[in-house]
Amino acid sequence: MIERSPVFNIFTYAAMTLGLLVVLVPFWIVIVAGSQSLQEVSRVPIVLWPSSHLWENIQAAWARADLGPKMINSLIVASGVTFGKIVLASISAFAIVFFDFRARMVCFWMIFITLMLPLEVRIVPTYAIAANALLPFQVVLDTLGITGLVQTLSSVRIGLEWNLLNSYTGLILPLVATATGTFLYRQFFMTIPDELIEASKMDGASPVRFFFDVLLPLSRTNMLALATIMFVSSWNQYLWPLLITTDRTNYGTVVMQLKALIPTQNGTPDWNVTMAGALIIMLPPLLIVALMQRWFVRGLITRDK
Amino acid sequence: MTSIRLLSAASTIAVLSIAAAAPAMAQTKFEFWYGLSGDLSERVQEMCKGFNESQADYEIVCVSQENYDNTLQNTIAAYRANKQPTVTQIFDAGTLDLMLSGAYMPIRELMSSNGYEIDWNNYLSGIASYFSTSTGEMLSLPFNNSTAVIYYNTDALAKVGFEGTPKTWEEVETVARAMKDAGYECPIAFDPSGAWQWFEQFSAIHNQPIATKGNGFGGLDAEMVVSQGKFVDQLTWIKKMYDEGIIVHKSKDAGETANDAFVNGKCQITSSSIADHGTFGKQAAEGVHWTNAMLPMWSDTERTNSLVGGASLWTLKGKSEEEYKGAAAFFNYLAQPEQAQTWSTITGYVPVTMAGFEAMKANGFYNEAPYKGRELAVESLTFTPPTENSRGIRLGNYASIRQEMVKTMQDVLFNNAPVLETLQAFDAKGNEILRRFEQTYKGAQLP
Amino acid sequence: MERRAFYRNPVLPWLLIGPQLLLVLVFFYWPTSQALYWAFTLEQPWGGGNSWVWLDNFIAIFRDREYWATVARSAFYAICTTGLSMAVALFLACFVDRSLKGTKLFQSVYVWPYAIAAPAAGVAFRFIFAPQSGIIGSINQIWPGIWDPSTNGVHALAMVIICHAWLGIGYNFIFFLAALQMIPRSITEAGAMDGARPVRRMFDLQLPLIAPTVFFLLIMNLISSFTDSFGLIDTMTEGGPVGSTEVMVYKIYFDGFKGLDYSGAAAQSIVLMFLVIALTFVQFKWVEKRVHYN
Repeated sequence: MIERSPVFNIFTYAAMTLGLLVVLVPFWIVIVAGSQSLQEVSRVPIVLWPSSHLWENIQAAWARADLGPKMINSLIVASGVTFGKIVLASISAFAIVFFDFRARMVCFWMIFITLMLPLEVRIVPTYAIAANALLPFQVVLDTLGITGLVQTLSSVRIGLEWNLLNSYTGLILPLVATATGTFLYRQFFMTIPDELIEASKMDGASPVRFFFDVLLPLSRTNMLALATIMFVSSWNQYLWPLLITTDRTNYGTVVMQLKALIPTQNGTPDWNVTMAGALIIMLPPLLIVALMQRWFVRGLITRDK
Repeated sequence: MTSIRLLSAASTIAVLSIAAAAPAMAQTKFEFWYGLSGDLSERVQEMCKGFNESQADYEIVCVSQENYDNTLQNTIAAYRANKQPTVTQIFDAGTLDLMLSGAYMPIRELMSSNGYEIDWNNYLSGIASYFSTSTGEMLSLPFNNSTAVIYYNTDALAKVGFEGTPKTWEEVETVARAMKDAGYECPIAFDPSGAWQWFEQFSAIHNQPIATKGNGFGGLDAEMVVSQGKFVDQLTWIKKMYDEGIIVHKSKDAGETANDAFVNGKCQITSSSIADHGTFGKQAAEGVHWTNAMLPMWSDTERTNSLVGGASLWTLKGKSEEEYKGAAAFFNYLAQPEQAQTWSTITGYVPVTMAGFEAMKANGFYNEAPYKGRELAVESLTFTPPTENSRGIRLGNYASIRQEMVKTMQDVLFNNAPVLETLQAFDAKGNEILRRFEQTYKGAQLP
Repeated sequence: MERRAFYRNPVLPWLLIGPQLLLVLVFFYWPTSQALYWAFTLEQPWGGGNSWVWLDNFIAIFRDREYWATVARSAFYAICTTGLSMAVALFLACFVDRSLKGTKLFQSVYVWPYAIAAPAAGVAFRFIFAPQSGIIGSINQIWPGIWDPSTNGVHALAMVIICHAWLGIGYNFIFFLAALQMIPRSITEAGAMDGARPVRRMFDLQLPLIAPTVFFLLIMNLISSFTDSFGLIDTMTEGGPVGSTEVMVYKIYFDGFKGLDYSGAAAQSIVLMFLVIALTFVQFKWVEKRVHYN
């Protein structure tokens, strides 16, 4: 572009390479250490070149942190969040943007405000209701006197109970309950020209038809972006799964297992196994980001701005 | 649409879990959560398997929660969500938390209502006093109990020409200095997170109070008094040794724990639970010879008994009759002399009953390696009748206070914080925790 | 931007928005109000009951010197991670913006840290910074004890900050690049014609033009420093040594779940929520203003 001077170009490349180093060195060290034997990884200074033990280290890490079932759990949770989010976000944004109903703006703001407080910030309260997510409804029933009424009429006491501890729903739903996707879809739907709706109305198509035939195909890019963002962020969740699972064996996720991989338990500083484990745990979201970059970058920018 | 499906799936799960809690057909399943990991966890699993094979009515499912802290935390979470295990293992520091929780079924009641006779007076005095109420009733079943001892590398002792094992801290200092001069880089391994052995046990055997009211046994309004006792000098001494490189910091943050440094022969002296006796025997690197002794005393002091450590088993409320029957059967199984002996043999935990200890002594169990040395733990636990200061610690949320002590020791060692002021701050912080606990359980009486 | 063409239907919109509203109510509003309630009571850990204590919990945390130390530490942590991460990302974005041949390759790699879970990065950086292992270990061999995050609080905090900043590079880079690329070429070219050197142009032209992005990222980074830090700290230092890496979120977790003081933790949560809301509010105000200028 502007300065075409070769010196400045070289400088640019040098700077970019430096940046590449900053970004890649941690990855490189993970790969290098993950591929070395215990002797090699314990050597000071370490040889910064991969060795041949990657596969056996991965196997060791896989066995030690029981990564098989944990991978499946992580996949279930990440896909669940992604799927739930896309569906809920698209339909609720559809309602907000295209329908005229009285509480429209109230609804929008109610959902939108949730963007402000990430789950980590409200961890104590969310944890409090995890024991029984239906508690609010019970309270409503109790205050309205319905519980008492039903009890006197039928001698059945309504006791709503739905606890989220050790369940996929507990791992998934609180993450779905935010405005990220709704907002993204709203921004996108706002750009749909009015003429399209008019035309669709003219054809006598119902709102549902319009949603499926026009909006969904148009929002494919949007969907991919949202899917990437949600998959990555839910795969990487740490604090919430830590609190909501007391049954790690059956409901633990891979990211929770990272701490179990740090060599403290058995005394040998086998960082090679730790690093191999970290490598496979960070790989799925990394692959998705690398492959979906084009879409997700666009999505990220529209979401957050 | 999907959300509706999700919700209905979720309610199916909720219904299922209710169904699961209902009495099962032939065999009653019940859960037991414990806080041990690694080698000890495998031992627990073997024991569970043994119980399941010994009878056909109950099946125990034993779940490791990795460590004591997690077990307490997760038990609470589960209890609040009505998904608690029938039996849970709670460490010494959580005893009062459980006692006031109202969430347990007293062990005596459980056993007698299910027709088991237990001789409650047979427990080692130190153990009984730690876990029983003011009226002497035990609410939980002592399970894995230990006390702290000091471990020495015998080759290092021989190299500096010391015969036997040091009995006083003065001797320990002399020996450690000699080791340093003889070229050992790490004479004494010290992990600040070992507040239990370095602080609590020190206080107990030197008959020093940690808090007023007999360490809290006299009421919830006890106050911390650590900065007024001998521990001030002890911590000053530890700091001095640390600065001279005679005591060396070893912890998992530093990459190697004190115990690992000891079994690998890098450090020559360490203090730890007798429960590690078994593990040390197995893990000691080739050529590492070691022995253990009762914790040293300062020479001008009289030894009192040491504190029991470890955990006890609590039965939680809200389970079915059948599950309680199962739990009682399990406890009864544990109390069988041969079971108790196997458990003490494969770990290093002390036999919890006097009868058990006598039987093992009579068998000559303690006379030979690799078990020789373990009797010292019982000797230490029963050295004197428990005093006000050595019968136990009955302080609310004590796990947090222990954590504050870890920070305090780190602060003194790493940041050169002045010993007395830091311990005074520790007392103040401890009092805050105690007052908060008192307020949370306002009006509650110590059982 | 209001839409004119609306569907009207008394039921359908409610069916569409219902599930989302329900989730938000159950998992956001209800718990948040619950937290408020807890913050004014003393909750027994085992759920045996609670007692109303008015502002005692808040008074207790505000009188606690350690709490203020944590707040100050969090602020320091937030400023350092934000500054470091944004500086690196902006630096890279400026060069990538020159769109030389092969830039695409660099560009796609710079995004990678975005994909990494904080605890995974924590574990990796813990190894990189471990005083006795391969990389820092060799420096420690030459000057023993020069680096030891297990006993030196400053080292520990530095280690966590560097790791957090690294994690943020990808995200910040994406936004900076997008913002830079939106600056019309004609403006930069005009600047170049006037003889402004690239560095000058950066400060006089581009930076003011991307100020909204800078501001936006500032807020997002500050907020993320409160949220993402948990996974890092838990895997790297667990708040130690001597609490030198204990930030607000970690203290909430520790006091609440390890220390079994749910009420104190709830009160701390409320304070943190207000802080985050205040930050977001500042951002909204700014965005509004910017819209007006446009």
